[in-house]
Amino acid sequence: MNHQQLMALLPFMVLATASIVIILLIAFRQGHTVIQVTGFLMMCLVIFTMWYVRDVLPQTIMPLLIVDGYGALFTGLIIFCVLVVGLFSYIYFEEREENPREYYILIFLSTLGAAILTISRHFISFFIGLELLSVSLYALIAYLRTRNNAVEAGVKYLLLAALTSAFLLFGMALIYMDAGSMDFSAIAQKLHTAEQSSPLFLLGFSLMMIAVGFKLALVPFHLWAADVYQGAPPPVASFIATVSKIGVFAVLLRFAQELHLQNNHSIMTIISVIAMFSMISGNILALRQQNIKRLLAYSSIAHFGYLLVAFLPGNSAGVEAAAFYLIAYAVTILIAFGVIILLSAKDKDAERLSLYRGLFWEKPFVAIVLAVALLSLAGIPLTAGFIGKFYVLMAGVQQQAWLPVIVLVVTSVIGLYYYLRIISTLFADVSVAIQKEKRLHPFFYAASYAALVVLVLLLLGFGVMPAIIIPGIKQFLLIGN
Amino acid sequence: MPINYYIFTAIALFCIGITGVLTRRNAIIIFMCIEIMLNAVNLLLVAFSKMFHMAYLANPAKAVTSGIDGQLFVFFIMVVAAAEVSVGLAIIVMMYRNTHSVDVNFLNRLKN
Repeated sequence: MNHQQLMALLPFMVLATASIVIILLIAFRQGHTVIQVTGFLMMCLVIFTMWYVRDVLPQTIMPLLIVDGYGALFTGLIIFCVLVVGLFSYIYFEEREENPREYYILIFLSTLGAAILTISRHFISFFIGLELLSVSLYALIAYLRTRNNAVEAGVKYLLLAALTSAFLLFGMALIYMDAGSMDFSAIAQKLHTAEQSSPLFLLGFSLMMIAVGFKLALVPFHLWAADVYQGAPPPVASFIATVSKIGVFAVLLRFAQELHLQNNHSIMTIISVIAMFSMISGNILALRQQNIKRLLAYSSIAHFGYLLVAFLPGNSAGVEAAAFYLIAYAVTILIAFGVIILLSAKDKDAERLSLYRGLFWEKPFVAIVLAVALLSLAGIPLTAGFIGKFYVLMAGVQQQAWLPVIVLVVTSVIGLYYYLRIISTLFADVSVAIQKEKRLHPFFYAASYAALVVLVLLLLGFGVMPAIIIPGIKQFLLIGN
Repeated sequence: MPINYYIFTAIALFCIGITGVLTRRNAIIIFMCIEIMLNAVNLLLVAFSKMFHMAYLANPAKAVTSGIDGQLFVFFIMVVAAAEVSVGLAIIVMMYRNTHSVDVNFLNRLKN
């Protein structure tokens, strides 16, 4: 490994160091505040090092990793999400019964797993990244270990994730037998020399899709999503909804790009069927939900269905659309969970929809923020969600994938119903006061509110002027192509 | 031995694992069955690795691969499986503390 390759890996090393630093701080009996601030600064340092090493990209570190603009874009997005999740975690865990300090070790390890996924170009790094991500997540989901709901969600996620990773490995083994290599580019070469894709490869990829579909909560592997979102602490749920899904989607997209899977008719059929079922059942299941965390889970199933429509074309327009959509989605979902965290009482999370009744008259700022996030999830113009959906549709239309595109449009209309139902609840006139008045940590409350304001401004900014970010995404994706 | 034997053994083990996961109700036994599935994959990878390595030894110039990475992967899988078990058993112990049972049928409280 030469100097430049080490430089390119610097951000990831800093990220790995972050969890060690936290362990040392705990060993020296530092408080929650010190750990929180250090973690925040370490994440800022990761972003700074990414900026610092931008000139040496792209670098291929044989045989496992490739650090290029694509990886940098998604890693940057992941780190941004962790910054926000970490900030929200402070006020949530400070008021809970569990010691909050080990939480940060786990969350940084999990982030490292997701970051490795975005730069992986080999089955081994794919698997290691995925497991690093999910093993830390098991513990994170069950972090409030005296609560039945959290432990139940943790056991469910544990058993299903372990099961699906066995399927992933079996699929990898079959592809290894077919191609004789685990390197994405070597597999691609093998596929090109072969006349048509062998049934072995098809079977292997389908088995891998089980694990990927599980992580992205795509139908029919979505059954865990609602339970885990409900049982996990809201900061962890927002982490699953953003970081874990972004990482897994990034590696799926890279795999598909390297292998030119869009030319493979049967694989594209499988993916478009999964996409359509996700869009339809995600939106239909969300219709009658009275629990806002479960509702966000079902809406995230639908959103990853939409995202797969952008995945179908497999060209650069599709990748751009997917990247923009993920950014918009991550910002939106962070706002929604941020509001849930701010409203949660000490022993009960704010998850019943009835708690939100007339919230606008009680806390106008939080209600408006939540309303903007929901409008963006629904894809109303002037929000980033609309632009994201527009790009996804455009990518789908270019490829003439008419059926998924039609399903996308129809299910978006269904989706509008339940998002607007929550918004109308927010503005209903009967006010059931939400019990949360004590402000124990004024600084961190202020910081969380400031983060919400920034996120809302980003959401509206991307929605009104997508031109401020699209060229940036394009530039990132060009590095290394 | 022909590679087919290894493939059939591995598929048989994998199917035993799946059957166990689907039919058993004890969380620890389900976890054990998942380990069987992982070990089926390990067997498969080692067999393929050996197969590619034999092809490489017979004719180094024509072979696509030396067949090392399959065996390497097995070590990673074993390490990850061990880590997964340690975290997993800890969570199952917490489940036992809360519900006094490791029966997964009791995991049905998360609903509306």
